[in-house]
Amino acid sequence: MGMAGQVCIEIRDVYKRYKSAREDSLSAVSLDIIQSDVFGLLGPNGAGKTTLISILCGIIPVSSGSVRFLHNGISYSDHERKSRIGFVPQEYAFYQELTPRQNLDYFGAMYNLSKNRLRERREHLLEVLGLAKAADEKVGTFSGGMKRRLNLAIGIIHEPEILFLDEPTVGVDVQSRNAIIRYLQRINQSGTTIIYTSHHMSEAEEFCKNIALIDHGKVIAAGGLQGLKTAHGAGDLQTLFIDLTGEAYRD
Amino acid sequence: MFKLFSSLRKELLLLINDKVGLALMFLMPLLLVFIITIIQDSAYKMVNENQIPLLVVNHDQGKEGEKLVGLLKGSGLFKIDSQNSIQQQSLRSELLSRGKMIALFIPATFSAGLESNAEDVSSILMDDLGLEHDKTGREKVSMPKLSFYNDPVLQENYSYSVMSVIQSYMSVIENSLMIDRMYANMDIAERSAKLKDKLISNRVGIDQIVARNNNSTAIPNSTQHNVPAWTIFAMFFMVVSLGSNIVKERVNGSFLRLKTMPTTFMVVMLSKMAIYVVVAALQVALTFSMGVWILPQLGLPKLSVPDNIIATIAVIFISSMAAVSYALMIGAFAKTEQQANGFGAISIIIFGAIGGILVPTFVMPGFMQFFSNFSPLHWCLEGFYVLFLKGGSWQDLRAVFAFLGIFIVLCQLGTYFKLRLERII
Repeated sequence: MGMAGQVCIEIRDVYKRYKSAREDSLSAVSLDIIQSDVFGLLGPNGAGKTTLISILCGIIPVSSGSVRFLHNGISYSDHERKSRIGFVPQEYAFYQELTPRQNLDYFGAMYNLSKNRLRERREHLLEVLGLAKAADEKVGTFSGGMKRRLNLAIGIIHEPEILFLDEPTVGVDVQSRNAIIRYLQRINQSGTTIIYTSHHMSEAEEFCKNIALIDHGKVIAAGGLQGLKTAHGAGDLQTLFIDLTGEAYRD
Repeated sequence: MFKLFSSLRKELLLLINDKVGLALMFLMPLLLVFIITIIQDSAYKMVNENQIPLLVVNHDQGKEGEKLVGLLKGSGLFKIDSQNSIQQQSLRSELLSRGKMIALFIPATFSAGLESNAEDVSSILMDDLGLEHDKTGREKVSMPKLSFYNDPVLQENYSYSVMSVIQSYMSVIENSLMIDRMYANMDIAERSAKLKDKLISNRVGIDQIVARNNNSTAIPNSTQHNVPAWTIFAMFFMVVSLGSNIVKERVNGSFLRLKTMPTTFMVVMLSKMAIYVVVAALQVALTFSMGVWILPQLGLPKLSVPDNIIATIAVIFISSMAAVSYALMIGAFAKTEQQANGFGAISIIIFGAIGGILVPTFVMPGFMQFFSNFSPLHWCLEGFYVLFLKGGSWQDLRAVFAFLGIFIVLCQLGTYFKLRLERII
């Protein structure tokens, strides 16, 4: 792992416009994400959070601008990036017909884990994320919380340096949300950088160190959470969010 | 290698868990081969087998009717079912209820009428030659008529062919009777055999030469059509399993997730293709085994396995690749599983219908035979026909490989560009 305090992702003047769209989904986005940070990308529906995460994960290209992944100040290739990042999408992106063990075996192999390492990581994650008892049952029968935990386990099976989470706790009960956040805090303490989107302001306030508020594809505020609240005279993150993005419906 | 193994394992597990897909791919062809082969067997026998099933009702009170039946039996062309107790009025319904397609009714005065006619001919000859003969005590009986019944579905030219065969045997009987009568009137009856033999037996023969590519002894029958036909149909029905499998992975984000991983999408696609090509090979093994071992136990024709094993493997491989490629394309274009299943299944039924799976192309009208060229199932079936019925030379398979090759490339390109558009590749 690199040293904390160093920039690990440098986003410069990024624009994104989808084909046949009349407006930019992202416009002049520039951000630095620091090693070992928990960085919250927050904003209303359609603000551009998922688009930015998709760009950072290499799923879609930028229309213009640049994204650099850095290790000790030196940028690395797309191919290397794929080994260093983990991605937990909003959807249950796994096989409902398979068991958690089978899913983890498959995705772990795709991350180039050796057989022994894969077995070790799989059993560890099943245990810590409370899936061990149902490890050989088909995922299709699972509750939303169990599916979310499996979705997370797949994204971190290879112990990524940087973890992207697109609304990892949406639609789950308090217990599952608590388990997920606690585990994410644990891996962050061991050095994993986390970039995270959520609509749960209280959760983000508890979890994030730095945030960027995005609206209409633009970064409207970015920096340390406490500093932003103080600068805008907001008592909590939800007040800050409403103050900056307004109360009008977005969908 | 571990990646490829894991990917193959995942595809296999998904397949094993797809119970409906497995039933469609393995149970359906067995049932279809079994049912359709039984249903079509009599029709194929009608066209292809040496023995034509013929219901004969002989009410003749003399011996010529029996002689005609004997000649028909002796010809080896007919499988005679003699039912002399049936009345002529009920023959139509008996014909249909017994599952026969043709019947012959010999009237009670058959022998008497023929003998009377032979006597008339003989009298004319004796009179013309100025020879004396006995002209008294002969009862005049009019020339008899045979009645020929046929199922309305039977083609007209087929009925005429059978009637012509019966006519030719009638000529034998009539000529024989006339010679006998003439020799008897001349009081030299014991010498008639030589002339009869010369006139009846020593006729111009016809050598039949079947145009085949080599020494293959295979002849078309219901098994040889239905076993490959329904196997191909089931191969293409993998669209329901493989197509919806791809839609699911596209829609649930698994494909996009893979894009963030240090792997190539080629591994995923190769694994899918490999597993489903093996599925297709198993389908062939299963249905062909049925054709070789089970169908003969039910009195149906046995499937004769082609001699050219390499060509057979090549035809199975290219057919399965065509089926897999089509399923991949449907999976790439469909927006939902329902779309993939619905459109996939209906398109296969239509391709099957125009491709000669349901009804062989040779019985289709000309314009439909032309359209059958646009069905990949037709070319797959054509490949098996070349193997089974024409000896299976590589020369004959060239068109099959060319068409299916083009089809596979088009489907793969379609899949590639669609997935590329969606930024999955």
